[in-house]
Amino acid sequence: MDQTTLQVYAVLFVFATALLAYTARYFQRRGRRRPQRRLAGMGRIAEWTSRSIEANRPLHLALGGAAVGGDKTAIALAEAEFFYHVIEGAQASDVAPIISTAAGSSVPLGQDTLRRALPEGGDSLSRVHWYPGELAYAAAVTATMKEDEPAAHILAGSFGAELALMIDSADRRGQGSLALSDRLDGQAVAYAMADEVLLGEELFAAAGYASEDGRAQADAIVLDVWRALVIMGVGIALLLEVAKRMPWLNWALVLSVSAILLVFGLLIYRRR
Amino acid sequence: MGRGQRYGIALSAFVAFAVGVVTALSLLLGDNPALFGEQPGSAQLAGLLALPADVLLRLATIVVALSIVIGIANLLTVHVGRLARGKAYSAVMLASFGFTVFWYVARQGDTSLLEAVQVPIESALAALLCLSLLHGGSRVLGKRADIWGLLFVAVVVLVLLGSLPLAELAPVQAWRDWLMRVPVGAGARALLLGIALGTVVTGVRALLGQDRSFRG
Amino acid sequence: MDEEFNWLKYSESIEASAQEEEAQSSRRGLRRFLPRLPGRPSLPSRPSLARLPRLRLPSLPRLSRRPASTSGQPSAAELLGGQQERPLDDLDDRLRALRGRSVVTTQPANQALYDVDDILTSPELQSKPGGVISAAALSKAQQQQVEMLRDIVGGPEQSQGTGGRRELPAFSLSAVPRLLGRALLVLVVCLPFVSSDYAEGELPPAEFHEDRPGPTAFYNLLDNISGDDTILVAFEYGPTAAGELDLLAELLLRHIFAQRARPLIVSSNPIAIVHAQNIIRGINRSLAGADAQLLHGEDYFLLRYLPGGALGLRELSQNFADVVRISAKGLPTGLEFEALDEMTEIVLIAESAEAVRNWVEQVLSAPGGRRLLVTTGYAAQPLAQAYADSMTSIVGPVTGIRDAFTYGEKLAKNFGALLPNAPIDPEAGPEVLPVNVVSDSQAELPRATEAQIEVAPATALPQPTATAPPTASPFMTATPPPTETPLPTDTPAPTATEATIRAVEVISEQSVNIRRGPTTVDEILGLGYQGDIFEVLGTNGDGSWYNILLPGGVRAWIAAFLVEERVVTASEFAGGQASASADAPPERAVLQLDFSLRLSKNRPRFYQAQPPTSGGGDRPELILSRDRGLEVPRLQAMTLGTLAAILVIVFGNTIYAARGLMRRRNSQGS
Repeated sequence: MDQTTLQVYAVLFVFATALLAYTARYFQRRGRRRPQRRLAGMGRIAEWTSRSIEANRPLHLALGGAAVGGDKTAIALAEAEFFYHVIEGAQASDVAPIISTAAGSSVPLGQDTLRRALPEGGDSLSRVHWYPGELAYAAAVTATMKEDEPAAHILAGSFGAELALMIDSADRRGQGSLALSDRLDGQAVAYAMADEVLLGEELFAAAGYASEDGRAQADAIVLDVWRALVIMGVGIALLLEVAKRMPWLNWALVLSVSAILLVFGLLIYRRR
Repeated sequence: MGRGQRYGIALSAFVAFAVGVVTALSLLLGDNPALFGEQPGSAQLAGLLALPADVLLRLATIVVALSIVIGIANLLTVHVGRLARGKAYSAVMLASFGFTVFWYVARQGDTSLLEAVQVPIESALAALLCLSLLHGGSRVLGKRADIWGLLFVAVVVLVLLGSLPLAELAPVQAWRDWLMRVPVGAGARALLLGIALGTVVTGVRALLGQDRSFRG
Repeated sequence: MDEEFNWLKYSESIEASAQEEEAQSSRRGLRRFLPRLPGRPSLPSRPSLARLPRLRLPSLPRLSRRPASTSGQPSAAELLGGQQERPLDDLDDRLRALRGRSVVTTQPANQALYDVDDILTSPELQSKPGGVISAAALSKAQQQQVEMLRDIVGGPEQSQGTGGRRELPAFSLSAVPRLLGRALLVLVVCLPFVSSDYAEGELPPAEFHEDRPGPTAFYNLLDNISGDDTILVAFEYGPTAAGELDLLAELLLRHIFAQRARPLIVSSNPIAIVHAQNIIRGINRSLAGADAQLLHGEDYFLLRYLPGGALGLRELSQNFADVVRISAKGLPTGLEFEALDEMTEIVLIAESAEAVRNWVEQVLSAPGGRRLLVTTGYAAQPLAQAYADSMTSIVGPVTGIRDAFTYGEKLAKNFGALLPNAPIDPEAGPEVLPVNVVSDSQAELPRATEAQIEVAPATALPQPTATAPPTASPFMTATPPPTETPLPTDTPAPTATEATIRAVEVISEQSVNIRRGPTTVDEILGLGYQGDIFEVLGTNGDGSWYNILLPGGVRAWIAAFLVEERVVTASEFAGGQASASADAPPERAVLQLDFSLRLSKNRPRFYQAQPPTSGGGDRPELILSRDRGLEVPRLQAMTLGTLAAILVIVFGNTIYAARGLMRRRNSQGS
């Protein structure tokens, strides 16, 4: 497939996404809410928010290396949306949340998020911390863990293995952690060490789970639809590839087996 | 919300939408002169269409480059404030900042502090990172006592064993290579696919002026 | 998240009851004499934790709508602090504690609530087995609530990961395994530096394994550059990865300098450029005795940094002339390149997979026969390998310290040094290095062939004249190809003879796949077009596939029915090369014979493995002056450290698994 064809497909994909988003939003407005799938990692956020309010301790929200203006702009925007809803939930706390970032261009985004989510903007200028460099960022965050004693850390952004330093430090101090990274090494560390973990595209859906905002929930639905389509596509491609290597396989056989499986499935379903 | 504010929001949403669409179209058409066929002047036309994207992306690059100034201003503001509240680490940070600037100016651009201070400190941090990773790896089943946790530990051990340069472990090295090539490759692609889908959805939201920044 | 609890209704009911209470209490006590504090609204205080029904937590959006959170309202703690209506003695302990927390605002955040902590840690309760929880015989839900209360007020810890503990005990037995694990790792890692008795594992080989053609091709391509060439070196790592990648970066730079080529160093990380400069300063320090130091602006260039990550790389790719014009210090470089394609090679030293992806997407995707030579840290290796397997324009990856060691070995060997850590023996006999590639042997790599060249005996610092210097762009220029005739020792140009070369020519009108192995399921390395001519190394068993040689020393296979075997004379071959090079400016020559094989289809192109350099470049002192002091102990420390890590991980997880099983059994029993 040449580059032009690819680009045309990409544009069509974007249009289809926009169409889906409008459709999902339409149904959201009409009140037809689709039950969202369960995101285990989101369950603790309410608990941590309450702790932040009751114990007068801030939440720490980490953007990591996601920068506005580069290829991670969308990740930074999705994080900001997610953090907006978390901050809104914790706004009753006497201590405003801290947002940390390793990218200078994300500082205004963090300040804007705090300003919008907190009553009268809070102290948004001094609650966004910028620490450039990956390990330097991790080290500075551990210092914050000691000095500000956050109730919990939501480390949802772009991290590498340095995530281990932060989660380990939080763990030793009894501070909860939810982690997610768009990078493979960071994601592995998050899975192994964090109290709660989100995976890949769940970052983009998280805002829909942390709020009842119709737009955010519609976006989560669009993501689910695309995800299902991609999984189906991969599955079909896999089946076709397997079928290619089995010369004895033919449509009659496939249909027969499918029919048998369908009947069995229906029987089991009815028994339950 | 006042009328002026509403107009402001509408204007910013429109600007975002217009810039996004212009950039996307310019990239699509400008990068593909083949779309205009073989007629004379098609290359020039493509070049002309590519211009808006070039200009806008260059502007974005300049803004991003300037963001380091925002970062430094933020760093100083935040830590001066924290120093006033008695935070010790902020004092260390400000002192280091001042000393580095002084050193660079006084020594006329000498960057030896980078090698003498930052590289050793970051290397030490990387070593500490190993210890943290080790601790995390040793208690995976404490955090996630399920089949997936067990699988995770098994893979970690297998990969580590496979990386040992011991001739006796040659079969394990073959397994490790397979693991890294097939399941890890598949996992990485799945993760990237998910991120890409999310990026498109968020991008569309921003393009349509639905992002919170445009909502006032 | 509690979906049932409606904070608004609850808040209203509390407000009503509180107003009623206020009305009743306003007639008694000191309250009658106290003025209402300015700015204090008549809202009730937030109910104490004890009054919360079953301590259920409200959901996030509902929390955000409650009255206390609206703009300009004081917080719950402030409200409590301002409550002067009721005598303190009337308050119960918990409310007094809450009030104390809000009044004494100067207290540090980790100040525990008064009394509550004392109650929770009272000897009566703690003397009971199991502490307060078992003493009260609470249900599981109640236990969780007690733990939560303890977390909030800073009581002693009993639970893990609840996210609210404030003070760490001075020393806890649970820290012992952590300390032991770390101590073990530190100890074993230090051992090889203390004594050579603890050497474990094998050192990396002196040649890259033949299963990995990527690193070999990488080395050969850099070995074929010359004084006319300019190499773009992307330093995409900062001090974080210095321990892992510095050695490799230094070797690559020394290799380039030794060939008298000029590196242009560029990065999207400003600190990386400064770090690169310091590496070159280190090389200069090691050359202290040599006559010439490496100079910025002559031998190498540090270009301005590229802000914006992928955006910056896009600019590099499309506006290269602008990028090379300015140095890292903002001064003019005097370089006048028009396009990135004028670089002989592009070398990427990347710490993260993200950097690799950005370079591939932004630089390689642009039109032009670009090729990317990739070196990475271990974290980026899987992605880089996937790219290298699927894209012929990506060469490598050379990964981490072990590959750096092998690379150094190859350099040292080719540039006349002796084996690592062995004393340099001036009596050593002449080392014989392979040079030609025309061979039917399928077991040997291209360099192991009949035609060989003798080089001078290795000395501590061989002079450049003693070795045969490499030719400029050896497989591209008018240099006659090597033949089976042994070459003279002191001339770089092989003698042109009428010796023949067994070759195949692509006859298929469609592009044909060139694969890693002689089957259709083997990986595709590239495409060949009609008229392309490849040197043949041999055939498979039934003659249905030809084993051919690509530039860069890469062996590949092509299906026999798509090609026609023919014999090419050396002069014909040289003529083909000359005509190919005549069509292009000299600095583009190598790229025109890119083994990605996707260039012009109009004229025959001749693919032959390049003659290797004959044991060193123009400046071997750049290779041989390298200090290799701690390389071997470092590698051994890595091996021992990995062993210790495996032990700790297995042991730790076994303990946790056993604990989990016991807990489960106990809970089932109860």
